[in-house]
Amino acid sequence: MGHGNFVDDHRIDDVLHAAFLRSPLPHARIVGIDISRAQAAAGVAAVFTGREMKRMTNPFLPVAMQDGLYTPLFWPLANDRVRFVGDPVVLVVAESRHLAEEAVDLIEVEYEALHPIANTTQARSARDPIWPRADANVLLDKTFQYGDVDQAFARADRVISETFSSHRQANQPMETRGCVVEITPSGPIFHCSHQNSHALKWVLAMSTSAAPVWRSLRSLAAGRKQVAAFVRGLRSFAKENRSELKKRDNSGLLSQIKREPRTPIWIAKVLANVVTADRSTLPRVVGADVGGSFGLKTSVSREEVAVCGAARALGRSIKWIEDRYENLAASGSAREESTTMSVAVNDDGRLLAFRVHMTMDAGAYPAAPASAAAIIGSMRVMMPGTYRLEAYEHRSEIIATNKSSYVAYRGPWANETWVRERMLDVVARELGMSATDLRLKNMYCPEELPTPMITGPTLDTRMSARRTLERAIAEADLERFESDRSAARADGRCLGVGFATYHEGAPGPPDFLDAVMPGGGLLANETVRAELRQDGSVDIFTAQMPSGQSHETTFAQVAADELSVSLSQVRVVWGDTDRTPFSAAGTGGSRGGAMGGGATMLASRNLRSKILEEAAAIMEATVEDLSISDGHISVVGVPAISISFERVAQERTARGDPILEAFARYDGGPGGWVQATHVAFVDICLETGTVAIPRYLVVEDCGEIIHPAVVEGQIRGGVAQGVGAVFFEKLQYDDQANFQSATYMDYLIPTAVEIPDIEIIHLQTPADIEANYRGVGEGGLIGSPAALTNAVEDALAHLGVRITEQHLPPTRILELAGVIPHQTV
Amino acid sequence: MLKLEPERSRAIALSVNGKRVEVEVNCRDTLVDALREKLGLTGTHVGCEQGICGACTVIVDGSPARACLVLALQAEGSSVTTIEGLSHDGEPSRLQQACMDATSFQCAFCAPGILVSLTWFLDETPSPTRSEIKMALAGNLCRCTGYASIVDGVERALNDPRSEIE
Repeated sequence: MGHGNFVDDHRIDDVLHAAFLRSPLPHARIVGIDISRAQAAAGVAAVFTGREMKRMTNPFLPVAMQDGLYTPLFWPLANDRVRFVGDPVVLVVAESRHLAEEAVDLIEVEYEALHPIANTTQARSARDPIWPRADANVLLDKTFQYGDVDQAFARADRVISETFSSHRQANQPMETRGCVVEITPSGPIFHCSHQNSHALKWVLAMSTSAAPVWRSLRSLAAGRKQVAAFVRGLRSFAKENRSELKKRDNSGLLSQIKREPRTPIWIAKVLANVVTADRSTLPRVVGADVGGSFGLKTSVSREEVAVCGAARALGRSIKWIEDRYENLAASGSAREESTTMSVAVNDDGRLLAFRVHMTMDAGAYPAAPASAAAIIGSMRVMMPGTYRLEAYEHRSEIIATNKSSYVAYRGPWANETWVRERMLDVVARELGMSATDLRLKNMYCPEELPTPMITGPTLDTRMSARRTLERAIAEADLERFESDRSAARADGRCLGVGFATYHEGAPGPPDFLDAVMPGGGLLANETVRAELRQDGSVDIFTAQMPSGQSHETTFAQVAADELSVSLSQVRVVWGDTDRTPFSAAGTGGSRGGAMGGGATMLASRNLRSKILEEAAAIMEATVEDLSISDGHISVVGVPAISISFERVAQERTARGDPILEAFARYDGGPGGWVQATHVAFVDICLETGTVAIPRYLVVEDCGEIIHPAVVEGQIRGGVAQGVGAVFFEKLQYDDQANFQSATYMDYLIPTAVEIPDIEIIHLQTPADIEANYRGVGEGGLIGSPAALTNAVEDALAHLGVRITEQHLPPTRILELAGVIPHQTV
Repeated sequence: MLKLEPERSRAIALSVNGKRVEVEVNCRDTLVDALREKLGLTGTHVGCEQGICGACTVIVDGSPARACLVLALQAEGSSVTTIEGLSHDGEPSRLQQACMDATSFQCAFCAPGILVSLTWFLDETPSPTRSEIKMALAGNLCRCTGYASIVDGVERALNDPRSEIE
């Protein structure tokens, strides 16, 4: 064994190795760069500064545009200034990574330090905005209102407010980012470690098609055929997606142009370059095993574009494998928000309205394509949860700071659940109600469904958040817990229990994506191609890219069931843009099971019909009379006479017909929610501040389960990351924006002894809808920070403790409990 | 000021997975460089190069070691076992098979280091408790699974009737 095929395992001859010089300063102007000694160093093939890279590449173009949002244009390497510790400044390409790193050390960069911006408070008052064209560091400040918020707050018996802060966290897959760009006579092949090969391909194509505009214009005229084909494609896309396109809100583009007038010029230039490019020069992206991602590898990184650009410029293959310091400092980070929430509530516990002001610390560079702006949109939509509300206000603020990019991290919107569920416990305590009673009083009952959330998306009749809560309460055995709590108190231990209930759009109802981003439904479609091979086995071609979610198992299972063949007869093919169908969104947003699984089922069904038609002709029977069992087709009632899939395939070949294949496209159909209640039990030692988790329970409902071990693995893995988030992990910057989490001794990832046993109960509300699979990749990390922090407050409430932060390492627990004086900020 | 030295190299002999090999290494190469780059044994993974994540764990002369922290020159004359040496004639070991049956791993990038560590551990501690297994596993980071499925895999291997025969 040991035969994995991760990107670093890819061996090609004469490959060069890349290393980046990264900024040691959080914010500085680049005054000068001297690369002469590096260029002369042993084994160095080339040295690219930001200025050269700017000539070779195009800027990242804004994708998630919103009214009022400013998205800067930026290039793979820093040009005039650096904006966070780890910002790539120079790319060195040499015969080995060792030599490349040595040459990096020979580069001299003269910086003129600018005032660092370490947090959103500093950002508001900073004289030097990180993006000069943005006027200020506030990139978005927009308030959304649903219902009459003022009136609801005026009418309420009480208004309860609190401010919550969550800390910067990082995805930290065990395999860092990396790529191997292989230059071949038939064009560049980009071996990736990524969640979405197709998006990567087109962003790489757009970013590295840096032909001058005059040449593009000339080829626009010369390449009339190509242009005509492009226009035809655009037209048919517009026709097919007319309703989605109509919903699109163009105010985002207009406000972007107002603040960054060069945007349309760059869009036009990049489009002209890509449309007229010789197809064989566009990178073909190939992915194999991916060593974890958790959202990190949905982004197309600046480093990937730089390496691709360099390989094309040099005509040489280049490998770039990030080290752990780079991954911690520069790959991306998430979750850092400060949120003030006010709740209008009556004395009997009835919730009337939420007023939320969420400030997101977005770091310096927007991640592409899933940026902070898209993520804060989903937090706004999901924040009301499954509770009845008359009114709701969400002020969404995105602020730039001198930190690494805010990226999608497993359940990127999870802080809506953390803040809401944390706040409900605060409200319950103030009202003197139990946390579960307050939830039950306000959560939609089955007989009220379907009903729209106040933000738009429909809570359909299968939405079972309340059932998960009721079951969790029953399983939690709170009476026994209370007696344990009293007994433990006598021992000096503090026991607590915390609940958190959430629902997630995985995939959500058809109106979900549009609520987050009008026209967002355009991204929903997923295509699968099923092919009958010569040996009678079946290949499923998908744009999904597994990074540990077991698509290769679950899709094979869905296909095998549909085709009535054994699991070993199905192979799932992914990762190669030349062989797999196009998908704009790839893996992410829990689309794998929902869209990918659904499309696999439908494509397999189409292939089954075609196989039966072929078999009917061979067997001189009618399709209706045939059945398939274990890969053999026979006439119903006459199992002795049968033909194999292999025979069907071979008969076609003998006739000279092409292989049998079938396509299906699926957008999630009626979709549905995944919902769960997490219950955390904690046992806090006030001598050491350590928090033990004697019991952790998840009651979840993702509808029909394809593979129980896969579902449970996803849930447990998500909860483990939640345990890490609350008690261990923090990507630390000091108040000068210096990066302080350079190793795994600083960024603590929990080990086997810190993760509790996790009990899981599946409810599986039947759907009676075809292909109605739902995604379970993200929920574990959505519910756990809320349940865990609620449990900690419950354990320490008798000491007057209120938990308003998400990170609770032992020192902080001791400070909060009054055991040691406050030292941390 | 930094001065670039030419890469000095030397041939060393060691035993890898029971086979004697001779390999030309630079003085700064680590053992994991030699295994992956020089010997093509890419089953051993590089996770952090800081000696913390455990992805590169191999057995050196009977003890588990972080191959990212051992210089290749230090391994001269040693006997090294990597993930490639756990299986025999392409047949997975009892632990490997049990972990596959228990769906122990997800992305499996950490798997080689974990399987090597646990193989050594089970040789030393043939009938461990669940909490002993967790302690043994605590030297390796896994970001996907939450570890329970890996502990299940070990228990499955222990309950494999073959384990009594061996």
